[in-house]
Amino acid sequence: MTTNTQTPTKLYFEDVQVGDEIPKLVKEPITHLRLVRYAGASGDFNPLHTDHRIGEMIGTGGIIAHGMLIMGFVGQLLSDYVGPAALRKFDVRFKGMTRLDDVITCTGTITEKYEENGEGRIAGKVQATDQNGDVKVAGTFVATLPHKE
Amino acid sequence: MQRSKEESMFDTSKIGQSFSPFTIEVERGKIHELALAIGDDNPIYHSQEAAQAAGYKDVPLSPTGPTTFGFWGNPGRGKELVDAGINVMRILHGEEEYEYLSPIYPGDILTGVTTIISGKHRQGRDGSSMDIVTTETRYTNQNNQQVLSTRSTIVVRE
Repeated sequence: MTTNTQTPTKLYFEDVQVGDEIPKLVKEPITHLRLVRYAGASGDFNPLHTDHRIGEMIGTGGIIAHGMLIMGFVGQLLSDYVGPAALRKFDVRFKGMTRLDDVITCTGTITEKYEENGEGRIAGKVQATDQNGDVKVAGTFVATLPHKE
Repeated sequence: MQRSKEESMFDTSKIGQSFSPFTIEVERGKIHELALAIGDDNPIYHSQEAAQAAGYKDVPLSPTGPTTFGFWGNPGRGKELVDAGINVMRILHGEEEYEYLSPIYPGDILTGVTTIISGKHRQGRDGSSMDIVTTETRYTNQNNQQVLSTRSTIVVRE
């Protein structure tokens, strides 16, 4: 479903340096079916994500994707990188609307490395952009990583 | 006209107000379904065996898994927003933030309490106006342990 392979390799605090890039994640083009599925799975049935007539009525113009789906893509990037249990904080700002056929690429960079509560932590910036380089979602995260023995 | 516009605005006296607590059981099937919808085929989200082989107690919650708690665990949320003067048809999502405080696994029973923590009107340059409202939801599990805190900012175009 995605172009990068999941690496089961365990990531250690010592493996990560400030400035490192997170292996990017390129998603398949957004389809109407994906939005219908996401509506059902998330429980967000706001019709502006599935019914083009609503978008025309309220001026967003056609169907727009759930912002949370795009955050979900970025969540997948982080899940592939550190695993879901390592995340301590994850926040995003929704910067632009995503439409059908958009191809979303998620990227991230490590900005900080520190110790807190006896744990090794990394912090970074993440974002999701479309095929034109327009930013859809930008955010930050904090994760805890184990030390090497 | 002016009057009906006023009435559709977010009522700032609602800041600090908490809604009724809601409970939700964390389900393996729901985690699987959300990962499918996102297109995340990592086996830890789809098989208990794979999750355990990877060192998890059970299928873990994906990073944005908490979004299902708000919608499925709290079906009355739409009405609560309407009562606070928010036109739900004109909502755009502005920001979303998760603080993961303790592990969450299938079978956990979570209780969420949502509070409106800020809200303001903003006038656009073109004369349009919008409300920016932030809610925070704090979740505790069946052992009364704080497991998750989420903040969500919505933009309501008038």
